[in-house]
Amino acid sequence: MSRDRLTPVERFAACQRGGPLDRLPCVPIVGNTAARVLGVKVSEFRGNGRLIADAQVAAYRRFGYDVIRIFTDLYTQAEAMGAKVHYPDDETAYLAEPAIQSADGIALLTPVDPFKDGNLPHHLEAMELAYRAVGKEVPVTGALTGPFTTASFLIGTENLVRLTLKNPAAVHQLCEVACKGALAYASAILDTGCTPSLTDAMCSTTVISPAQFKEFGQPYLKRLVDFIHGRGRAVTLHICGKTAPIWEAMADTGADCLSIDNAADLEAAKAKVGRRVRLMGNVSPSEIMLQGTTAQVRAAVRACVRKAHDNPKGLVVASGCSLPVETPFANIDAMLDAVREIGWPVDAGKLEMELAA
Amino acid sequence: MSNQTDSLFRDLSDAVVGMDEKRTRQLSIQAVEQGVDALSAIEHGLVEGMNRAGKLFETEEYFIPELLLCSDAMYAGLDILRPHLKHEENQVRHKIVIGVVEGDTHDIGKNLVKIMLEASGFDIVDLGRDIPPQRFVDEAIQAKASVIALSTLMTTTMDGMAEVIQLLNKANVRGQFKVIVGGGPISQSFATRIGADGYAAGAPAAVKLVKQLIGEAA
Repeated sequence: MSRDRLTPVERFAACQRGGPLDRLPCVPIVGNTAARVLGVKVSEFRGNGRLIADAQVAAYRRFGYDVIRIFTDLYTQAEAMGAKVHYPDDETAYLAEPAIQSADGIALLTPVDPFKDGNLPHHLEAMELAYRAVGKEVPVTGALTGPFTTASFLIGTENLVRLTLKNPAAVHQLCEVACKGALAYASAILDTGCTPSLTDAMCSTTVISPAQFKEFGQPYLKRLVDFIHGRGRAVTLHICGKTAPIWEAMADTGADCLSIDNAADLEAAKAKVGRRVRLMGNVSPSEIMLQGTTAQVRAAVRACVRKAHDNPKGLVVASGCSLPVETPFANIDAMLDAVREIGWPVDAGKLEMELAA
Repeated sequence: MSNQTDSLFRDLSDAVVGMDEKRTRQLSIQAVEQGVDALSAIEHGLVEGMNRAGKLFETEEYFIPELLLCSDAMYAGLDILRPHLKHEENQVRHKIVIGVVEGDTHDIGKNLVKIMLEASGFDIVDLGRDIPPQRFVDEAIQAKASVIALSTLMTTTMDGMAEVIQLLNKANVRGQFKVIVGGGPISQSFATRIGADGYAAGAPAAVKLVKQLIGEAA
């Protein structure tokens, strides 16, 4: 299929004006799959900002999607504060051990220095290089993990969620130190030219209650959003898993765009918060993008567009979460092609008829 | 059953649902001191409370923090009451080997499934997280388990689930075990494709699934 008339930057600007567009924005959230585009191992990204940038830029050029996100895993900030991360040879890293074992350790933690600690300097280098290479044509974002989620990696998820009920003050103390570090990192990300892109996985109602999100998630996210707004940038907030009961609270953080998981419904989100936020989502990264056929990808994209193309604040067709490393290129191409095929303006009647058929 | 024991069971159940570990412990001691049948106190008190907590979890009135604190209370009571079970009552009918597949250390989902299965009277062999496929097979054979329960949150480890089933086939023991899978990226179609016996979307559903599968096996 022919490539696009507009660059991503032009496309988003046109969205803001209400059109005309060539197609809806589309973001298959490519993380470590970028390693496959360059033919390198995922573990080679560790400590190598240039390689991360090269891979992410190459992946953007290969697929032509609308946002680059410099991301390898959610643990970078927690690692920089002492959590141990395991790096398999050629798969996404995972948490080996939290930084502290109990609330007693919280006082020992200090906010990250983004220019010194862990792999943060390398990620900043990647952001700077990617922004310099293609920042004029495509938004380049830097992954920023939310304070509550970083807190869960610092003390262990089970520990943290027990403390939300048993010792809320300790949870706030931990979120505070994580938030201070996140603010410093956000500032450094902005200095590279990139925009921080917020993910707060553990805030999902798959894990904590809406009341707990409002107490331990939202206030810290709001501080980050306010800070980024203060630097003149719009913010996307992603929370994995179920989120329907907290969509309004997520919008209350001030985020401009909510990225929702396939465990949530775009149509319901549109009804609830579509006047306040752009929506991004939500083709299943595992069942459809990794394991599905190109025909299933196409059908899933059409379902997303049917549900939310008329979202008052706009829609970004996206995967519900970061794509698995081994997601077939054909499925990523199929996602973009499906969006190109639908084009703009969206023929809603045609999509509805497909549903009826 | 006297009214007095009835009300003790209800108090135990309430203490578990109320996430009150201390009170659960006190009531369990009281049950022992009053010579109340330990099995009944567990089934009609602790487990009843944990099942109520599971229902609240299903209806999204409770979330993971609440469910974990309920389980802390249940386990505190079990520690006190279990030594007072009559010997034959300690003979558990079905063993379940459970763990998170190698390459993943997210274990909260696995732990919730374990808690709810334990509350339903199953004997659990918890291998923990980041477990190589071969170990599931070895442990299941050694424990004479009825069920192998595999959990993951990461797509990278999904192949490990398929490998467990291939290893069971290779060892000619596949028929001895029901294999169930669950976790974020898992779906019924994935479970079917790798030849698992079942998929459950959450902890309470996993209990229903195991009961149904074991019923089939019996």
